Amino acid sequence: MATGGLNLSREFFELLKAIGESKSKQEEDRIIAREVTVLKQKLEPTPPGKTSPLQNKKRAKEYLVRLLYVEMLGHDASFGYIKAVEMAASASLYHKRTGYLVCSACLSPDHEFRFMLVNQMQRDLQSTNLLEICGGLLASGSLITADMVPAMSGEVTKLLTHDSETVRKKAIITLHRFHTLSPDVVTEEELFEKVRKVLCDRDPSVMGSCLNVIESMALREPQKFKDLIPSLVSILKQIGDHRLPTDYDYHRVPAPWMQMKIVRILGLLGTADANASSGIYEILLDTMKKADIGINAGYAIVYECVKCITKIYPNTKLLDAAADAIARFMDSRSHNLKYLGVTGLAMIVETHPQYATQHQMAVMDCLEDPDETLQRKTLDLLYRMTNPVNVEFITDKLLLFVEGTTDLFLKQQLTTRICSVAERYAPDNAWYIKSITRLFEVSGDMVSGEVAQNLMSLIAEGTGESEQEDMQLRQTAIELYVQLLREKPPAKLPKILLETMAWVLGEYAYLSTVCSLEDILSRLCHWNKIGILQPSTRKFLTSAIFKLVAQAGTCPPQAAAVIDEYTRSKDPDLQQRCLEFQGLLTTAPQYLGEILPVDASAEDVDVDINLSFLDGFCQEALANGARPYSKPEDDDDDDEDYNLSSANAPAFKMTPYAKPETNVSRSHMIRGMGSGGMNSSASAVTPPPGGNLGNSAVTSTATSSVAGDGLTLNTRGAANVWGKKTAAAPPPEPAAAPPPAPSNPYGGGFSSNASVGSSSAYGGGGGFGRSNAYGSSGSAYGAPAPPVQKTPEQLEKERQAAALFGGIVPGAAPPPPPAPAPPPPRPAPAAAPPVAAPPVAAPAPAAEIDLLDMGAFDVTPAPAPAAADDIFGSVSLAPAPPPTAAPPMVETASFDEADVDASVAHSTAERPTTASEAIEPVDPFAAE
Amino acid sequence: MIKGVIIVNNHGKPRLAKFFQSVESEALQQSVIRRVFTQVCQRPDSFCNYLEGIIPEWGEHIKLIYRHYATLYFVFAVDSQESDLGILDLIQVFVEALDKTFENVCELDLIFHSDRVHYLLDEIVMGGMVLETNISHILEASKDQGKLHSESLTTTDAANNPSASQIRGQLQSGNGNGWQQQGQYSDKW
Repeated sequence: MATGGLNLSREFFELLKAIGESKSKQEEDRIIAREVTVLKQKLEPTPPGKTSPLQNKKRAKEYLVRLLYVEMLGHDASFGYIKAVEMAASASLYHKRTGYLVCSACLSPDHEFRFMLVNQMQRDLQSTNLLEICGGLLASGSLITADMVPAMSGEVTKLLTHDSETVRKKAIITLHRFHTLSPDVVTEEELFEKVRKVLCDRDPSVMGSCLNVIESMALREPQKFKDLIPSLVSILKQIGDHRLPTDYDYHRVPAPWMQMKIVRILGLLGTADANASSGIYEILLDTMKKADIGINAGYAIVYECVKCITKIYPNTKLLDAAADAIARFMDSRSHNLKYLGVTGLAMIVETHPQYATQHQMAVMDCLEDPDETLQRKTLDLLYRMTNPVNVEFITDKLLLFVEGTTDLFLKQQLTTRICSVAERYAPDNAWYIKSITRLFEVSGDMVSGEVAQNLMSLIAEGTGESEQEDMQLRQTAIELYVQLLREKPPAKLPKILLETMAWVLGEYAYLSTVCSLEDILSRLCHWNKIGILQPSTRKFLTSAIFKLVAQAGTCPPQAAAVIDEYTRSKDPDLQQRCLEFQGLLTTAPQYLGEILPVDASAEDVDVDINLSFLDGFCQEALANGARPYSKPEDDDDDDEDYNLSSANAPAFKMTPYAKPETNVSRSHMIRGMGSGGMNSSASAVTPPPGGNLGNSAVTSTATSSVAGDGLTLNTRGAANVWGKKTAAAPPPEPAAAPPPAPSNPYGGGFSSNASVGSSSAYGGGGGFGRSNAYGSSGSAYGAPAPPVQKTPEQLEKERQAAALFGGIVPGAAPPPPPAPAPPPPRPAPAAAPPVAAPPVAAPAPAAEIDLLDMGAFDVTPAPAPAAADDIFGSVSLAPAPPPTAAPPMVETASFDEADVDASVAHSTAERPTTASEAIEPVDPFAAE
Repeated sequence: MIKGVIIVNNHGKPRLAKFFQSVESEALQQSVIRRVFTQVCQRPDSFCNYLEGIIPEWGEHIKLIYRHYATLYFVFAVDSQESDLGILDLIQVFVEALDKTFENVCELDLIFHSDRVHYLLDEIVMGGMVLETNISHILEASKDQGKLHSESLTTTDAANNPSASQIRGQLQSGNGNGWQQQGQYSDKW
């Protein structure tokens, strides 16, 4: 190449050379930094009297090009933008274009300088100079923002009828751009009408650029363009017949891009429309035949035809032709064509699976291909062609890829797809369990929790048809997991798999033939020593251990050690479970079997919400002189005494609360403190229902008076959990509590403090809220009836509050780790634990039973994956809507005639040699 | 729509970057260029010219269609509205047009005359839409500009711009004269 005579300055040349030779990014940066200082100097405003370096036009332009270069390399060149704007206003075209260029390349969409250019662009659009107009159009295409559209749209619209075709074709694209930016100013109708006129433009290139606009619009509203089908078909036919000037040929194919565009538009218009489709069958076949001359441009058209054929209302002949073309692509040695073949096949097999069979080997080749793009496309194809027969093979292949890939996006996509095909087409349940387990292993936590749920409920419930088969299934699952348990170190297995394994082993370990219950138990206990288990996994693990201990009838030392360790867990939930189990084990081991029944996870549980089994106990207490129970207005959340809360139980609201208002929940927390002060010591011992009375008897006035002084006292509810540290809590609200508001959703008399408590100073109150929450969950364990569900917002708020409180009280025990995600809301009866033998009024077992319900697993029976009943779900072909009447042509005909006349006149006058050819594409309706 | 056109050399140095769908910041533009380069440069020439990489700055379903000539990668980032093979041929047209404009184009031409490369591209793709595919029209337009540009350099700012009739005359003669011959297939660099 010759730099000589190309107006390059020495400086620029040196700069480029230096950058070309720079060895590192740092060096390049240094060079650019130097260049930036030079440019700054050159571009800065010159004092009057001196000649600006910009006086030299060549130089000035070069500076801007250098600016562009600096910007392209990623350095800030904003100091020169203003010069670019200035230059855009220059009278010299050369400068103007450069100015516009730099502006459109560098100014961000919201840059204020863009507004400075509006005037200039307007002037340019009105210019008599063709190139100024073009410059203005190009600039407005890239620089205009929505606010500027009204200022420009008028001018651009005028240019649609400009003499020069270069202007017209740019104008229609610019107008479309305006429409996308500001649909209110350049309305769809307006553009729609213009586009129709431009489509009949006498110059083929204008028509060609207009096709882009039509495609974009038809993409959103195909209905509006249906009547254009005959015109488009006619244009396509004329192009195919070589009626365009030969310079539109590309490697002997006439105007391939226009053909592609038209075929694409036809595809859009014919989608699910039998009538519209019937009008394009013939031309498609024709176009395909003509384009198939063995070169890329021709293949491009053929490929568009294939795509179109798969989209429109199906026609056997065309589909066969498309399948032939695909077969040729697939067999081609060119990777590009193979890619098209695979893509095309993926499109066609979804509706017509029969075409896939002949390509099996070719598809396998593509799958082995080192080219990743091709591989991915092939995986996509495999996914689409899955059916009950090949599902095992395809799933294997997909799993292999998931294992091999490092691309997270691909992994996620494949994981979802494997789940979907496995659920849809699984040949049998054992296979499903195996595949999904394998998926857990390779994809880990990318699999959604729902899949694990489904898997567990499938194992628990089986198909429901024959108990023997179900047991067989469980046996398979158990052997699978036992094998995993023995062979893989738990640290290598993802959480979701560990949890599933723990649950399944806990339930059905006794089915294993290769491994004894004790062995499994000890291996499970071993988990705890390796690595760090997630909090939720720990709960699954302990649950499994409880169950296995119950089944084995003895508690081996390892299990006892694990449980003992977790009784000191920071997670109150886990701690509680373990403590309760420990208590159960030491005091009432005979009930273990009943509390932790074998294979009962899928049983329905009847809940006696009236707690009639307590009647005898109450009678006895009353007979002994206890005060009769008077219903409190609200349950006090921080009772952790079981008897107390079970007496309260009927007062529980069984339906979830409406979303609480903020101040309400705060008041709730504060009330916790106030009432805590009230009955501090009373609940340490098991109180008769009367203990509760004291609580409920506290009217709002009492509370507020207590709140005044009592709140600074040790609060019982909090103290029990947090020890004395809570005493350091900031004193809460002033005593001036407003009168009670009994209708408060929390229902408590204490809610009177609501509005006071809502002041923002209650970070401390929030802390109590957390302890309060704990209290409430404690009582939930006690009460056989399920507690009120906390909304996630509440939990989150509580969690945040807890974190806040931890910061306020120095030295306070760190707040418990965030509560595990709340279990999904579920129907109360199913969630309730199996009630132990009624006469046993022992609260502990009842609580223990609830423990079983650790995850959300043995609850709501999730629908088992439908094995094969919706095989055809994806294959169903949406029938086309009833055909619409043939599109009316009247509308276009009127301007068409005039336009044609004009075009004949023009073209004969201007371009005699091509006149006859040029007329043809202009006149799409000539055929009719 | 064509989201952007990027030309990088074998070492990842950008030679041209045009964003039709703008990305928010300079830094993001650089990251797009880097991402495009790293995805493209790993692929041997025998692989297919499509890459369904993800360029998050442009959205998810972006396909990179590229061609590799000696030292340069020409990369078009497109959405599903463009034809795969069609764009591949369009790149070829672009390169042929460059070759004709610069007479045996090479990498240095693109650096020294990046403005002219931009103008040429402006005639092919406008606002992300394919404006013209006819190579003779493309060259015509850019040649007219070149002529007038050099003329305008000699005029002063105050200036008598070439009048409309003059320009028309020039365009007519341009039509009459050359550009009839079809561009030779050129793959050389």
